[in-house]
Amino acid sequence: MREQAVVFGESNSLIGIVTDPSEPSRTLNTGVILLNPGVVHRVAPGRVYVKIARALAGAGFVVLRFDFSGIGDSAVRRDNLPFEKSAVAETQDAIEFLKGTREIERFILLGGCSGARVSFRTACSDRRVVCAIPINFPVSDDEDSNPDLINQRVAQYYWKFAFFNLKSWIKLFTGKADYSKIFKALRSQARRRLSSERTISSESPQLAEDLNLLGSRGVRLVFLYSENDPRLGELREAGGKGLKRLCELEKIQLEVIRRADHTFSSLDDQERLVEAILAHVETITPARANCASTIRDGNRAAHQVLGLTCTEAQPG
Amino acid sequence: MSPHNGITPFYFGLPDKPLFGCYHKPRAGRDRQCAAVICQPMGHEYINCHRALRHLASRLADAGFPGLRFDYYGCGDSAGEPADGGIARWMKDISAAISEIKTWTSLSDVCVIGVRLGAALATLTAVQNGGFESLVLWDPVVEGRGYLQELLSLQKEMLRFRPKPIRRKCLSGFIEVLGFPLSNDLCSELEKINLLQISKKPARNVLIIRSCQSGDEGALEGHLNQSEASTTGDLLDIPKVWLPTVDGSLLVPNKALQSVVSWVSRIHA
Repeated sequence: MREQAVVFGESNSLIGIVTDPSEPSRTLNTGVILLNPGVVHRVAPGRVYVKIARALAGAGFVVLRFDFSGIGDSAVRRDNLPFEKSAVAETQDAIEFLKGTREIERFILLGGCSGARVSFRTACSDRRVVCAIPINFPVSDDEDSNPDLINQRVAQYYWKFAFFNLKSWIKLFTGKADYSKIFKALRSQARRRLSSERTISSESPQLAEDLNLLGSRGVRLVFLYSENDPRLGELREAGGKGLKRLCELEKIQLEVIRRADHTFSSLDDQERLVEAILAHVETITPARANCASTIRDGNRAAHQVLGLTCTEAQPG
Repeated sequence: MSPHNGITPFYFGLPDKPLFGCYHKPRAGRDRQCAAVICQPMGHEYINCHRALRHLASRLADAGFPGLRFDYYGCGDSAGEPADGGIARWMKDISAAISEIKTWTSLSDVCVIGVRLGAALATLTAVQNGGFESLVLWDPVVEGRGYLQELLSLQKEMLRFRPKPIRRKCLSGFIEVLGFPLSNDLCSELEKINLLQISKKPARNVLIIRSCQSGDEGALEGHLNQSEASTTGDLLDIPKVWLPTVDGSLLVPNKALQSVVSWVSRIHA
């Protein structure tokens, strides 16, 4: 494995790191591009993008993780292109860069938070993308400017985990709970509920159209979600029956990383995220599909979540 | 490889253990006779401070100071795993970064700027290397034991509001802080850090930036003055940029950046 700092893009303003497999013969002629998780630079929280890039390079993929303009080390754009358009254009710059320097023709896009949106959008508009792996995909673009993110994650924790935990109830009734935090979380949850209903109904038709487009083009789409991420429920609601049908046809996969939080803030979360990504991308390359399916069968168990066919990453 | 914002990313150091750095080219016509090296904090603090320190390096470059931001071994984009790092290793990395910027610029004077643990490492490196010309310590970790306690408290607080990790495997030889491993050896090394015990002056001129009243840093200012380093303290009403924010944003405290740039410009006029 070899890492190289690179500069590319229309005005030579995008900065990234290419991780090449150590043996050129192992190159699979498939590039993976990692897209900024929100405003965090290309290393990502917990340095998890570095781990993902190195693991993928170890499996034979060329990996590029770079910063969108204005994020990390990349320069701010000089035009007024909005982020949702500039990010797609810059992802295509990254595709062109790998094509030009590594002669790669097929691409897998992977990103968390807003990077998940960009991976999805670029997959819709660029036929060179054979697979997109959005991680904690937000149904709307408003997510990154959310001033209440932490309270919403806490609310999600209360609802999905603490609610079913005897110790939490004992704390609540013995005065040991953080009542102010509980109040803020409930208030935040109520607000989110109100705004997400509006978002879901407005985003739903476009989402359905895009999912059908990707399904018809044979693009592999894998939604990865942390179990503690509120966006999972929103995707299910926004995707509705169309998403369910595409999941049943196995054109789309929706996988939940159990007990992980939004930023994969434990080493254990990170390890299982890397395993899940490896298992998915390895099936993209036909020569490796058989081998990868064995790994998948060994590591993961299929189950139903609210009527959708999903898979859940298990401890290996 | 030089993008239009004047930042050049590159790898340097040992071929088998390369370090990642970003060279900030000074604005044309404002060349100064001093370069800046920025020593970042560690772990989650590195992630949270990245934006502020990139802006700091750009502001210094605008004022005519070429600069180098770099990642320690096992951190950020550099080679290695976090568990492979250690105080001695990272001090060598600071020395390597200083040599690198001298090679890039042919300048002999270097101002070293450190944040949190980066500030402590810069100070220790300075003492070991016989002192720098100037040193900026932004909310330095003065006493390693207290720093470790802070990290553990933060991890405990984080675990209160997230599902417990499935495996919960006892990482033998490690503890975990917000997704970063800290080896037991590193913890022992951190516990030994105490900048109030350094006996030599780390630099001719020192600026200490504080975002809050803290006895440790106030004591450090007094201690450094005793060591004959000309020390300036600047207590600023700015957020603790190394901590996670409520909305996930990354802060750039303008007052701190201004303070550093104007002090460095004055010292190296």
